[in-house]
Amino acid sequence: MATTSDVRDILELSGPSGQEGEGSTPRENIMKTKKVKKLSDTPTFKRPEGMHREVYALLFSDNNSTYFRDAPPIIPSASNQGYRTLKAKLGRSKVRPWKFMPFTNPARKDGAIFNHWRRVADEGKDYPFARFNKSVQVPIYSEQEYQLHLHEEGWTRPETDHLFGLCRKFDLRWFVIHDRYDHDQFKKRSIEDLKERYYNICSKLTKIRAPPGQEPKVYVFDADHERRRKEQLDRLFNRTPEQVKEEEYLNQELKKIEMRKKEREKKTQDLQKLITAADSSDARRSERKSTKKKLLTKEKRESSGSVDIPTGIKFPDFKQAGVSLRSQRMKLPSSVGQKKVKAIEQLLEELGIDLYPMPTEEICREFNELRSDMVFLYDLKLAYANCEFELQTLRHRFEALAPGKMPLTVLPTTAGPSTSGAAPAESEESPSRKKASDIIDVVSTGPSTPQRKRRVSAADPGSAIKKTKKL
Amino acid sequence: MLSMFKSKMAEYGPDSGGRTKGLMMVKPIVYGNTARYFGKKREEDGHTHSWSVYVKPFKNEDMSVFVKKIEFKLHETYANPVRVVTKPPYEITETGWGEFEVIIKIYFNDPNERPVTLYHFLKLFQTDTNIMLGKKTLVSEHHEELIFQDPTQMMQTMLNSTRQITLGPWKHETDFAEREQKTLEKIGNARKKIRLEIADLKERLKGNKQTIQMFKEEIRKLEETEQVETET
Repeated sequence: MATTSDVRDILELSGPSGQEGEGSTPRENIMKTKKVKKLSDTPTFKRPEGMHREVYALLFSDNNSTYFRDAPPIIPSASNQGYRTLKAKLGRSKVRPWKFMPFTNPARKDGAIFNHWRRVADEGKDYPFARFNKSVQVPIYSEQEYQLHLHEEGWTRPETDHLFGLCRKFDLRWFVIHDRYDHDQFKKRSIEDLKERYYNICSKLTKIRAPPGQEPKVYVFDADHERRRKEQLDRLFNRTPEQVKEEEYLNQELKKIEMRKKEREKKTQDLQKLITAADSSDARRSERKSTKKKLLTKEKRESSGSVDIPTGIKFPDFKQAGVSLRSQRMKLPSSVGQKKVKAIEQLLEELGIDLYPMPTEEICREFNELRSDMVFLYDLKLAYANCEFELQTLRHRFEALAPGKMPLTVLPTTAGPSTSGAAPAESEESPSRKKASDIIDVVSTGPSTPQRKRRVSAADPGSAIKKTKKL
Repeated sequence: MLSMFKSKMAEYGPDSGGRTKGLMMVKPIVYGNTARYFGKKREEDGHTHSWSVYVKPFKNEDMSVFVKKIEFKLHETYANPVRVVTKPPYEITETGWGEFEVIIKIYFNDPNERPVTLYHFLKLFQTDTNIMLGKKTLVSEHHEELIFQDPTQMMQTMLNSTRQITLGPWKHETDFAEREQKTLEKIGNARKKIRLEIADLKERLKGNKQTIQMFKEEIRKLEETEQVETET
């Protein structure tokens, strides 16, 4: 029964349904039952403002409210297919056996035999890690070579031999070499000293042994640089906490100084801009003045509540000494808003006047005055729209207070437009003759040119034809 | 020319003899370009037009008396895009295939007068068939006026001592007098129209304001009577 009544409710068949047999379900009846349901369901605890709906719902399921009694469980309980039925299938091939077996390491020279676990399949193969055993080719020098070329101040033959022996033994692992160096028998030497001696000999040997006329590649070890680098690191490491703090402090100070410097530069730039701007035109100043005036008039308008008197455009008077162009004097001051500029452009287009006419003194003056008048008209239109709106509201109030008693004396003064209400212009004008004030669309906000154009063309098919002809 | 300029500098001093307050001198000029279609695209560089961009005095006078040089800044793709002309005719002739904005900067002989910048959009293409076929030359030029507000002594003398540039007649491609006349006519008509509408709208506004006043009074009266009724 409920479903049929719902359908009836949706289809709004309240009347006939009652008569057709199911007399007990007219619309009012349904409404009633619904209301009763709602009342019984209404929770006693009202949701406080600001509380999230979800949080509120949680609260109420705790309170065993009828609303949330059977909320869905968070974790699904029993199901037909449990995890037990799934069997992990890891690897399809047979298990490969392992065996504990002896092996020799080719990297070792002593041929020692050890045992380790290995796959049976790999039995008899070489020890795989032997290939990582890389040895360095340390050059060997003859007695003659040493006597001829390798003499160096502070180094004796035995010490050099000792060094090369260690190099060969430890594969140029310099820290180990330095550690194992016989410092008792020979002088105390740093790693850099050892490296320097070794690489010097190496480079000399390659040079000597190279075939004549060929320049061999030589590794150059810059011991001094290396020493300085280590010294620097040592110093950095040995700083006291005070020194670290001081450094941080100094860095911060430097940053601050740089920031201040930047700020100062920015300020001077701004100032420079201001100066040049002030230099370039008196215009700016007068513009600012006019905007101030406009602001003042706006305030006045707001305070008095009545419609103000529009003023048109105030063009700056060019009194700045220097050379300028006539066309510059036809630029609209920036105090003219974007909407007004658009309105002016539209009007000029409609009247067939160039947006930038030929700049002569007379044209410049006339053109500026024309556009000033246009803005004046725009402001008037705006004021008129406001007035119209006020009148409309007053009329409604009057109608509410005294219905049907519209005083006839009121009507004649505002004749056509006021009676036709919100869109007086379109209904009033004949399509052939169009007023400029109709082109100025005060009501629309923002750049709504397409809409405006549509309106114009809809109201005036003649102008559209004219436009195409012009094109 | 330069020696004359230098001697003038010495004569007037660093401030060029000071400015005359309230004096305004005007020098009308004409700037623009002519262009002609080759008739086909040139093989070696793809250029299609030859054109000249220029600045000319509107009247028959030698501008070099007060103009030091004129810079024409062409599109960057031209070799040495900034071309400087120091004596009349102030004109650059080039070939090309595209339109672009030429920045024209006029420098004056008086170092105390700052240079003036003009912008001209180089025209090459037009729908006129004769021009399209290259039979006729395209002309796109504008009238402009250089206004010297409070000129220096030096500038005044220079502006007043211009001589004719040619003994023959001085004519322009465009009939500026006719153009001015037409423009003025149009603006005049437009002004009349706008004025009429302003007057009309003012009248309507006045009427509306009166109606509003009346409505307000009526409503006030009605409200008063209603109050009396409810009280009784």
